[in-house]
Amino acid sequence: MKTKHFLIVATLAAVFAGCATMPPNELVNARQAYQTASEGRAAELAPAELHKAQEALKLAEESFAKDSDSTKTKDLSYVAQRKAELAGAVGAMNADTSRKDRAGAAFQDKQAEIVQQGKQDLRDSENQTADARAELDKQAALKEAKDKSDAEFQRQQAETARQAKQDLIDSEQRTADARAELARIGAVKEEERGLVVTLSGGVFFRSADSTLLPTAQVKLDQVAKALLAVRERNIIVEGHTDSQGALSYNQGLSQRRADTVRDYLIRRGYPADRIQAHGMGEGNPIANNTSPEGRANNRRVEIVIER
Amino acid sequence: MRHVSRIKFMVFAVAVVATAIVAGCTNAPLRTEASTSGIRAAEEAGASKVPQASLHLQLAREELAQARALSEKGEKEEASSMLLRAEADAELALVLSHEDAERTEANAAVARVRELRKNNP
Repeated sequence: MKTKHFLIVATLAAVFAGCATMPPNELVNARQAYQTASEGRAAELAPAELHKAQEALKLAEESFAKDSDSTKTKDLSYVAQRKAELAGAVGAMNADTSRKDRAGAAFQDKQAEIVQQGKQDLRDSENQTADARAELDKQAALKEAKDKSDAEFQRQQAETARQAKQDLIDSEQRTADARAELARIGAVKEEERGLVVTLSGGVFFRSADSTLLPTAQVKLDQVAKALLAVRERNIIVEGHTDSQGALSYNQGLSQRRADTVRDYLIRRGYPADRIQAHGMGEGNPIANNTSPEGRANNRRVEIVIER
Repeated sequence: MRHVSRIKFMVFAVAVVATAIVAGCTNAPLRTEASTSGIRAAEEAGASKVPQASLHLQLAREELAQARALSEKGEKEEASSMLLRAEADAELALVLSHEDAERTEANAAVARVRELRKNNP
């Protein structure tokens, strides 16, 4: 019985002595490696490998508990250390993979952004080009229109000048024709105030009357026809009398006669705003009033065609 | 008395089984396939060009050689245990090779995107 107790005590002593033994370096390193791995990225990024490391360390610990200094304990500890280091390496590798993937995604995003920006720049450039082209077209159209307008203006100016010249020639021709025509009807002379046509009063009116004689109307038709060729000219119809009778009477008579002639010419088509009638009375004789012939010459109507 | 007989019988049985196991172990050939394939994989992954991986590759080779030597001396259990070391080092060498390659690629990718952003602010 004593022997049995001794054996039990010896066994327990041996166990305690074993527990108190310092672990081999391999196991210390394995523990340290596992702690490092579990506190690093392996816990998140390599949990399977970390679990294998944990299992390997557990085997080593169990072996150490059974035989603290055995080769097997050292080998298992060595393997556990490598498993822990492997878990750390896998964690780091997975972190690098994530980093690479993120960089790849960022690269693609940036490339897409560049392409998008490039397209936008191209669109902007095209718009600017189109705007510039439109502006050029507009300027060209304006220049063309201006050139055309200038050419038209010059052409019109030339046409106007030519027409004015032609009108002048025509006017001069009509004036010459009218003058020749009038010269056949009455006396014509050039004066400071214009061309003066003198029509004998005896042919146009009875004595002391302002009503046109029928023969006078024929004469005045000829006069009107000649004057209508120069209707752009202002004319003045002047009535003159001889010196017989009262001065005021002669003034009124001469005015009425001038008015009668003026009205007749207007009826024949001469513009009313270009024709005036002045009664000159007896104040502008062209002959001596002492003789019947001279008074006959003084009774007259003068038509002044202004220059 | 009957109790003592039973203990003797159990001790005998355990001795027979242990002898059979030891006999089996000593006769079984050393299984180096896992170690050699692990070393080959690490070599093909370029472990020899990565300093830390290269170290573990070398350790794996040495441990495999030691395992074979132990096996030849008949120390089968020590040989098998040494093979575990060789496998662990070969496996670690392989992962370190991959990790180095992955880190290089990640750095290149980061540099590439940084360059792209720099040239296209």
